[in-house]
Amino acid sequence: MSIIVVGLSHKTAPVEIRERLAFSNNQIHTALRELVDGRELSEGLIISTCNRVEVVSNAEVAPQQAFNRVSRFLYDYHRLPQASIDNYLYCHSEQSAVKHVFRVASSLDSMVVGEPQILGQVKDAYDMAVEAGTVGRILNQVMQRAFTVAKRIRAETNIASSAVSVSYVAVELANKIFEDLRGKTVFLLGAGEMSELAAKHLLNSGASRMMIATRTFEKAQQLAAEFNAEAVDFVERQQRLSDADIVICSTGAERYVLNPEDIRRALDIRRNRPILIVDISVPRNIDPAIGRLDNVYLFDIDDLQAVVQANLKEREREAAVAESIIDSEVTKLFSRLQAIDIGPTIAALKQHLNDLAVAEFERNRKKLGPLTPEQEQAIRAMLSSITNKVAHPMITHLRESTENGSYSVDVWRKMYHLDEKK
Amino acid sequence: MNVLLLIAAAFYSIAVLHSILTLLRKRRILVSVSLGSLSIGLIFHTASILGRGMSASRFPLVGMQEAFSFLAWAIVVYYLIAYSLYRVQALSSFLFPLIFIWTLIAAFLPAPQDAPATIRGEWNTWLFPVHTTLILFSYASFFVMFVAGVMYLIQEREIKLKRFGLMFFRLPSLDTCDDISYKSLTIGFVLLTLGIITGMIWGSQRDGRLWHNDPKEIIAAATWLIYLLVMHYRLTAGWRGRRAALLAIAGFALIIFSLVGARYLGGYHAF
Repeated sequence: MSIIVVGLSHKTAPVEIRERLAFSNNQIHTALRELVDGRELSEGLIISTCNRVEVVSNAEVAPQQAFNRVSRFLYDYHRLPQASIDNYLYCHSEQSAVKHVFRVASSLDSMVVGEPQILGQVKDAYDMAVEAGTVGRILNQVMQRAFTVAKRIRAETNIASSAVSVSYVAVELANKIFEDLRGKTVFLLGAGEMSELAAKHLLNSGASRMMIATRTFEKAQQLAAEFNAEAVDFVERQQRLSDADIVICSTGAERYVLNPEDIRRALDIRRNRPILIVDISVPRNIDPAIGRLDNVYLFDIDDLQAVVQANLKEREREAAVAESIIDSEVTKLFSRLQAIDIGPTIAALKQHLNDLAVAEFERNRKKLGPLTPEQEQAIRAMLSSITNKVAHPMITHLRESTENGSYSVDVWRKMYHLDEKK
Repeated sequence: MNVLLLIAAAFYSIAVLHSILTLLRKRRILVSVSLGSLSIGLIFHTASILGRGMSASRFPLVGMQEAFSFLAWAIVVYYLIAYSLYRVQALSSFLFPLIFIWTLIAAFLPAPQDAPATIRGEWNTWLFPVHTTLILFSYASFFVMFVAGVMYLIQEREIKLKRFGLMFFRLPSLDTCDDISYKSLTIGFVLLTLGIITGMIWGSQRDGRLWHNDPKEIIAAATWLIYLLVMHYRLTAGWRGRRAALLAIAGFALIIFSLVGARYLGGYHAF
């Protein structure tokens, strides 16, 4: 048994190269059946996303031979000239392969560390391989462990908990000011892709009400219908301001649409319940002097970018923690894999030898003449003792050899046809 | 030197260490160890207070040492109750170090030799423990309010200055800080009011006068007025957030002064 990974990712290859090796969902089933022929590779799994193509497999041969097999398959399947993109491919084996799988599943190898999609994509790839029948004992252990590790990393580190896109940042800021977004009102001043996206995120995170005011009332009504929100006349924006907890502004106006006096009045009516104002417009639509008022928190587009940068740094810090979690998990899994592989093999070996002995006994029984119960028992005991003594050196060798390498296990299984149906 | 208190302080220090570590890394086990050692420390702390009470055959709240010890004890109890009800883990990183220092001070202060005349004999009624317990639990409450206020100010500064460092990520939201502040204000104020009333009743039982112009009484009244103001303006004019936090700090400064300094101003409350 040796676990190998062959593939390429956004880290090693540009998109023009990656797309040449990509598998669509329809193709994966047949591709896996072709790849996992039971000769060199006994188990296999293909992960194909827009940022990577990974082939994970359990090989019956030495890693180098397995790498060649997989890359040959990739070239053949996608009708590419052999070795044409070797520079872009990476190969991992054994512990480094398991570590790579863990890192990918935990989003540590992603373009944005901590992104949530990759885990789902890896799970889908696993499901498809299970359906294709190319997942066996070893890959099952590795992948299940990968999912657990990914979950653990999300729970115990902060790599995934901070916003790295400008529209998510609004939600994050809102959470740092208001504990709960439920019952809070979002006021959208002006329309625009980014502001609508931010509003959507806020609604998804629990905000209950939304008001929309654009310079043309029809547009506001249109958007309001879409968002199940209330359309507000632009000229009434100052009056309605006191109802808003979070204001997202991107009107494209040339002058300020809100000034300090409006905010002070609104705060008075709100009895100083805080207001978060996010001004995504360029030029800015909200008088920056407002930011100096108490209980108002004003962020312009540069500030949001700064939050994104800070969060990215935080993710990098957390990634370091995640890496050490992964290292310890890889070691744990590997010793488990080594251990579990012997158990069934030893049992199967013993059973096999025992069956052999008993079969011979049955076959030659007549020649022995009638046997008393004690004689029969003595013979069975003798057979058992012989098989144990014969098996003992094999078993000791098996145990020792798993410390240094792993091929002997499968050699023994092959030698005695332990995996074949009788 | 009070051995039981030292042991309690040692356990509290473990709690402090782990709660500070949660600022750096959010592992569940850190929280469990932190709470666990706090609770064990509390057991030793309780033993120390009970022991003191038994050896002096009176309620152990006389003098600075006992006051400090009881105050730290009250804060721990307060925190554990709040945690079991609201799961507010946020306060721990700030609260625990202060609890530890308080307990350590209490462990090293000399215990009072003798109960002062004012609470010997027939004046040692049930009002004494009730009054002092109420007052000290109210102090514990205002202490939590103070910590919540400080956290609010730090977090607000981080957000206003657009500084997104470690504190921004680990501190709870402004609303949470303000909420904790408000709740502990209410509880503290009620306890303080009851404490002052029982104190006045107890005092009047002795010499018929409700008010003695004693420094501690004056400071207590001043403290009560400050928190009354905070409550009033919170309810009517929306003095929340920053203003409440600053007032919490002022009120708390007064409490510290009352605990530590008032004795030097003389008067009969001087213990």
